[in-house]
Amino acid sequence: MTGSTHDRDPPVIEFDRVAVRVPADAGTVDAGTVDARAVDAGDGQRAILHGLTLSLTEPRIAIIGANGSGKSTLLKLINGLVLPSSGSVTSAGLDTRHRGRDVRRRVGFIFTDPLSQLVMPTGREDVELSLRGRIRRPAERRFAAVEVLERFGIADLADRSIYDLSGGERQLLAIAVVAAVEPSILVADEPTTLLDLRNENRVRETLRGVADQLIFTTHNLSFALDSDRCLVVDGGRVAFDGAPPDAVTFYRRLCAA
Amino acid sequence: MHPTRQTIIGPAGKSSWHSRKRWTSTDLSLIAVFAALIAALAILPGIPIGSLGVPITLQTLGVVLAGLVLGPTRGFAAVGLYLVAGLAGLPVFSGFRSGFGVLAGPSAGYLLAFPFAALLAGFLAVLILRRAARFRWIGLFLAGLTASLLTVHPLGIAGLVINGGLEVQAAVLADAVFLPGDVVKNALAAGIALSVHRAFPRLLAPARRPKAGASS
Amino acid sequence: MRGHGNLLGLYVPGNSALHRTPLWLKVLLSVLLSTAVLAARAPEATAAGLAVVTLALTIGAHTPAVQLGKTVLPLLPVLGLLLAYQGFTNGPVPAFVTAGNILVCVLAARVLTLTTPGQELLDGVVFVARPVRAVGGDPERFGLALSILMRSIPYLAGSLLDVRDAARARGLERSVRATVVPVVVSAVAYAHRTGEALAARGLGEDDRPTPGA
Repeated sequence: MTGSTHDRDPPVIEFDRVAVRVPADAGTVDAGTVDARAVDAGDGQRAILHGLTLSLTEPRIAIIGANGSGKSTLLKLINGLVLPSSGSVTSAGLDTRHRGRDVRRRVGFIFTDPLSQLVMPTGREDVELSLRGRIRRPAERRFAAVEVLERFGIADLADRSIYDLSGGERQLLAIAVVAAVEPSILVADEPTTLLDLRNENRVRETLRGVADQLIFTTHNLSFALDSDRCLVVDGGRVAFDGAPPDAVTFYRRLCAA
Repeated sequence: MHPTRQTIIGPAGKSSWHSRKRWTSTDLSLIAVFAALIAALAILPGIPIGSLGVPITLQTLGVVLAGLVLGPTRGFAAVGLYLVAGLAGLPVFSGFRSGFGVLAGPSAGYLLAFPFAALLAGFLAVLILRRAARFRWIGLFLAGLTASLLTVHPLGIAGLVINGGLEVQAAVLADAVFLPGDVVKNALAAGIALSVHRAFPRLLAPARRPKAGASS
Repeated sequence: MRGHGNLLGLYVPGNSALHRTPLWLKVLLSVLLSTAVLAARAPEATAAGLAVVTLALTIGAHTPAVQLGKTVLPLLPVLGLLLAYQGFTNGPVPAFVTAGNILVCVLAARVLTLTTPGQELLDGVVFVARPVRAVGGDPERFGLALSILMRSIPYLAGSLLDVRDAARARGLERSVRATVVPVVVSAVAYAHRTGEALAARGLGEDDRPTPGA
């Protein structure tokens, strides 16, 4: 099971005239995304994203934008956690609406808070949980889990309670847990926001090698510059799309305005 | 849809472990987290009352809340999961007790009644929240109290008689000690449930939301 | 939230005799012991039961005294009150039997969780739950729900304690509402986040084909 999925699925993500709307009465938290704030009324609906047509092929793509601009929703569209109200999204060649489960097998997702992602009491058990679907025999599964942790240099955390880990260690563990199933695309929603500088660097370094394609949101402009392409999202649409230095300049001007 | 917005995958829902309408990952998670909430409330130190030392705790607050917040089927499942976890050995009953042994104890009737209390409270809560625009607090309070009077107290008394060896009259008297606390806890649960539904207005929203995009 | 990790006396890695005993045997012994003391309702049985679980924990599972103390300590307020009340109304012997039996049952169950890794317990539960497949249930999802339950208790207990501090800071420590409402609201939000993370990992979804999809 080593790396075969990487070769099969071309890391291509297509957005075709995508819009996401939610009922206006859905509370912010309830709507499940911090972006639900992006208000845009009309027949009792709020538009979080609209008019989105994109082709994402670069190995490292950064997405920046203010809180509530629609960044998170854009990421969740990629793995089908959010489905478009109109239009369609294709990830790794699969339509997220009809092949959601298969899409999520190929697209790994890292959340801002690793604690909401880790389900089991210890790291090794959590990686084993990821591997449950692929390795039937418990002993083999346990062995494979330790291997994954070793690959990420955190084998020493294997049997510690996730509550006794630092924020940085937890995020590294969350990455290992997702990487265990060898996704071809990795999506990360502000993966370093809760971390100090040293841990941020380690997490950024680790994210590099996990999948063929990495798409991340961040508020850290130096992290955004460390990419091949950068999108600026504002008010539910892509306001700028291009080279990272230009995107950052655009974003600075946008915030100053 | 129902509770859970964006987890799209499959209709969420009012269903059971084995009905054709499936629970989403978020439903599953809500059930498990509420079971954990009941456990967390239960293992705060309880106060044993009566000659048999049946402890009074916030456990029952959690049980009613599960029904009022999650609705009948998920509420029932949450309390059922809590019960199964405790019987299987996880120390989640009041006083950190656990294991099959509790079924032989005097409080067995109360424990076994809990899932049904959540079911009934949840059923009534859905009726009230969908129909009533006013007096919702009173409505939820009465829903919780009704559920508790029809399930927890009769089964609790039965448990005291069968396992505790009390005369029926003595058992009714012993059970009555819980009534004032019950009224207070149901009043609290109604207020808490209303606050939660204000924060998450779609938690018990009627049947289907239109389609997927609504998801997040 | 540090330190709440082993609140429930969950698995402690080791290589003792009980760590190596198969799960089914441990379950069987623990159930037999609990049932025996409860059925006997005799002080001799209770004393013997207490001796057996204590030996099992100390010699059989190599549980350090500190860990043992941590396991028993939270029980003491309830057991103490129970002892006092029963002792006062029914006499010392029934008091000892009632409180001692509870302790035996709790410790017997604790032997399982202390000496069995979570994944193995989960495999055991999923195995036992297999018959529910006959009525359309899904033992894997049931096992997953149990994992989330176990993992959420320390989180929620920590959040209850945090919120109680916050309420105290605002002079609201007497209000049960002020302490419970934030905990329940954050629990629901937490459940939503966890549900979403599970879906993102492809866990907890119904694996059976969706009709009409």
